[in-house]
Amino acid sequence: MSRSDVYDAGNLDSWADSIRSGSRRDLARAITLVESSRIEDLEPAQELLERLIPDSGGAVRIGISGMPGAGKSTFIEILGQVLVDAGHKVAVLAVDPSSPVSGGSILGDKTRMATLSRMDAAFVRPSPAGRTPGGVARKTRETMLIAESAGYDVVLVETVGVGQAEWRVSSMVDLFAVMLLPDAGDVLQGIKRGIMELSDVILVNKADGPRRESAAQAVQQYRSALEITGGEQSGIIIRACSAHERSSVTACWQDMTESLDARRKDSRFEQRRRSQLRQWIRSVAEDSLLQLLQEDRKLSALLDGLEKEASEGKTTPLRAGLVYRNRVMTEIAGRDAASGVPL
Amino acid sequence: MKPTHIQTLYTLQDLVTRGFRESRPGEFPYRRGPYASMYTQRPWTIRQYAGFSTAEETNAFYHKALASGQKGLSVAFDLATHRGFDSDHPGVEGDVGMAGVAIDSVEDMKRLFRGIPLDKVSVSMTMNGAVLPVLACFVVAAEEQGLQPETLTGTIQNDILKEFMVRNTYIYPPAPSMLIVSDIMAWTHKHMPRFHSISVSGYHMQEAGATPVQELAFTIANGLAYLDAARQAGLGVDDAAPRFSFFFGIGMDFLTEIAKLRAARELWATLVRERFQPGNEKSLLLRMHCQTSGWSLTAQDPLNNVVRTTIEALAGVLGGTQSLHTNSYDEALSLPTDTAARIARNTQLILQEETGLCRTIDPLAGSYAVESLTADLIDEALKLIREVDGMGGMMRAIEAGMPQRKIQESAAARQAVIDSGEETLVGVNAFISEEAGSVEVFDVDNRKVREHQIRELERVRSQRDPAAVENSLLRLEETAGRISGENHGLQEKNLLQLMVDAARQRATVGEMTAALERVWGRHRTDSVPVTGVYRTTYKDKALLMEIVKEVEEFARKEGRRPRILVVKLGQDGHDRGARIVAAAFADIGFDVDLGPLFLTPAEAARQAIENDVHMVGVSTLAGAHKTLIPQLISELKQAGAGDIAVVAGGVIPEKDALWLKDNGVLEVFGPGTKIPEAARKVLRHLSTPSKQNE
Repeated sequence: MSRSDVYDAGNLDSWADSIRSGSRRDLARAITLVESSRIEDLEPAQELLERLIPDSGGAVRIGISGMPGAGKSTFIEILGQVLVDAGHKVAVLAVDPSSPVSGGSILGDKTRMATLSRMDAAFVRPSPAGRTPGGVARKTRETMLIAESAGYDVVLVETVGVGQAEWRVSSMVDLFAVMLLPDAGDVLQGIKRGIMELSDVILVNKADGPRRESAAQAVQQYRSALEITGGEQSGIIIRACSAHERSSVTACWQDMTESLDARRKDSRFEQRRRSQLRQWIRSVAEDSLLQLLQEDRKLSALLDGLEKEASEGKTTPLRAGLVYRNRVMTEIAGRDAASGVPL
Repeated sequence: MKPTHIQTLYTLQDLVTRGFRESRPGEFPYRRGPYASMYTQRPWTIRQYAGFSTAEETNAFYHKALASGQKGLSVAFDLATHRGFDSDHPGVEGDVGMAGVAIDSVEDMKRLFRGIPLDKVSVSMTMNGAVLPVLACFVVAAEEQGLQPETLTGTIQNDILKEFMVRNTYIYPPAPSMLIVSDIMAWTHKHMPRFHSISVSGYHMQEAGATPVQELAFTIANGLAYLDAARQAGLGVDDAAPRFSFFFGIGMDFLTEIAKLRAARELWATLVRERFQPGNEKSLLLRMHCQTSGWSLTAQDPLNNVVRTTIEALAGVLGGTQSLHTNSYDEALSLPTDTAARIARNTQLILQEETGLCRTIDPLAGSYAVESLTADLIDEALKLIREVDGMGGMMRAIEAGMPQRKIQESAAARQAVIDSGEETLVGVNAFISEEAGSVEVFDVDNRKVREHQIRELERVRSQRDPAAVENSLLRLEETAGRISGENHGLQEKNLLQLMVDAARQRATVGEMTAALERVWGRHRTDSVPVTGVYRTTYKDKALLMEIVKEVEEFARKEGRRPRILVVKLGQDGHDRGARIVAAAFADIGFDVDLGPLFLTPAEAARQAIENDVHMVGVSTLAGAHKTLIPQLISELKQAGAGDIAVVAGGVIPEKDALWLKDNGVLEVFGPGTKIPEAARKVLRHLSTPSKQNE
């Protein structure tokens, strides 16, 4: 399809209308558009978003992260059904890792959410993370807004716990949950990786059968770690969970909604969304600056030259870095924004 | 086949270093055969696996086969029956009567065996998922022929563990599925003493890509797990083990396959003695059925398959199998035609009657090579079995995905070796013949079969006592609810007994299955294929990198990588092909969505649309493609997504391929397609603005 010709204002208007009136096809295509790495797609994507943003914002946004095998998908598969049964429309946005070697990916979320992904009131969209950290994850925020404008009132964002993406997601949701296994190693890792600072909810999964006991212990360890860091007042939820048992997932959700209600009451909810706006603005600016740097031919030629000089010992990386920065200032700062990456 | 474990020369020294010991057939450790006389008194049983369309048509086929020298029957059920759905269930539209015969109730079972004396002809039934209702229908059908269960001979496959590993025709989750296995062992022990209560199957592992060592080790480990289950259900080892049978696949690695069968017997005898201390020597005997490998058949130059099958059959015989199925040469294309089925049967008759092979027992004993290979396979398999033990047994290993992962890795590596031409397949990647003609293929009119089955279902439902049926189903449900707990012993309410009662009342296979499903739910697997293996094993790196570059170029122009949804439609759970393709495409740089098993065309269309893929690739092996693929295309069009292209791959006869292309399928990839070439073709279609964008 030659796409540039379909992006006129009239088409975008009817595209937005169609998304608002519930077309799965057009919602799906809009997500593809905002995820596109083509420079030419940026402008129409923004145009479309501007039409949809007024209808977004009404949803509850939950981030769910954890290492592979922790049980995130199982949890979402059940939680999604609980929510749909309670009358919600649920969008699941799953960011799957891409192979650092081939760049390709296997997106198996629909397989792991076999029941939910068949339900009328659910929309499950896996997205490849891409090779650059923060790549597609950066677009997740926009995807979330589009889904909200299509009437989804709960958005669940699933990411594999690999640092960068985790941080990104935690800064765009109302509640960020991390799912962990009860093994001691995982507990220690979790504390080390700073999960406590990042998350609002820690779910120690597989609290069933033979592992029930170790899950209870892990919960205790987290609670005491929390006391040490003095974060107890922050209202962080730490609990055991059995992701494949509906009753357990329902209980987790209850805790989460209670926490959300409390946040709404004392306006932490609103404050968080406000500060997320600020972060969003900054990350848009920073990301596009980075993209400018990466795509500027002159600058990358300069970088090649500096790299050579540094390797031959003619300059130090430190000095070369500063030279590079100074050139960036004169190259970019003086430039008319319109000639850079369009918005 | 280029096995890495074979030495270029074996000498007497190899026997010495491996501690070779003289043994006799019919004696521990049974390496040379389970019986003292083997084929000298009675040759192996020619047991051809067959079933298609309706019970009437299959029955006619059975009569013909028995009249032409076949000795036992082996029933192939359709996938709807395997998965416990009646033929009128909306999820099985494309599957009814296709890969086997449709059985909905006792009435179908009676028609299936009309005129066949079930006390004289032994019947093997490949049934695992819906094992309870199908075995119950069999028992009642015999009863209404005037035969008590005691008189019945044959085998029920009843091997659920390998379903979770490779074949995917399970119904319930693993734990209750194992309860079913032990209830069947208990009931048949009591009421069907001449019947084999389980057929522990390695065949499907080999078909899914397992190496001989993996097939051997996991099959024996599964057998041990069933003996454990029997023990937990209160059966002694001597109650259960003598009724075990095994089932192996025979591939083209001739000497290794012979050695594998000999190794299997020794391994089983040794481990059962060591772990279960049976009092009855019969508990140590591994009796087996073998089938030549369906995977080794090629769609190209299909008459070559007669030769392949003959060689594999010979390996089965030299390995000392008790019964054998030989594949028909056209089975890489469709169900066998009459001609192909006749040649397959005759292959065995010729081996029995014309070669003199039945005149001496285990003729390869003492061969430096065969005995050394046997010993090596035992060693290697033992290592793997210990690894399984270390994980807490086969149930745990399967839950952790260990055997699945190992088998998938082997399959992906094998595919890469074939695709890059390192392993030669005559007529496929080498010595391709210009004159290789196509052969006539067998067609089942799936719609007609389904209409027939639905009419019969209506008749059965209208003539039965609804209250009695309801009552029998309720008892099933209640019992299932009571025994789902951990302490399941030989309770007086045996599930098979309750199924027999329900079958008598004309409850259908689907109804009986659903009664238990209400308590236990339906199991789903969600494992993701193993990536990386294909790319690292594929030898022609230059070609691979060319395609990788094309993918990158596409991604740059399009703003994202090519994205393809790989799905299987209907009840066909054979996902070796789908998984290899998915993994290999991801290795080449595609974004690959892998759909869950058992999708309807409408569900697949929705997934394609929601994930906004460029293309859907349907993998089909069970003949349902002519029904389900056009439905998928029309669902896509209806949703305004006609630009999402559809390609198909798998077992698709030439004329069906043409038909599919006329009906909107962009490309059809038959067996033997090299994945990188398929990827390149797909990519080029996607890169040129398509014409079907109406």
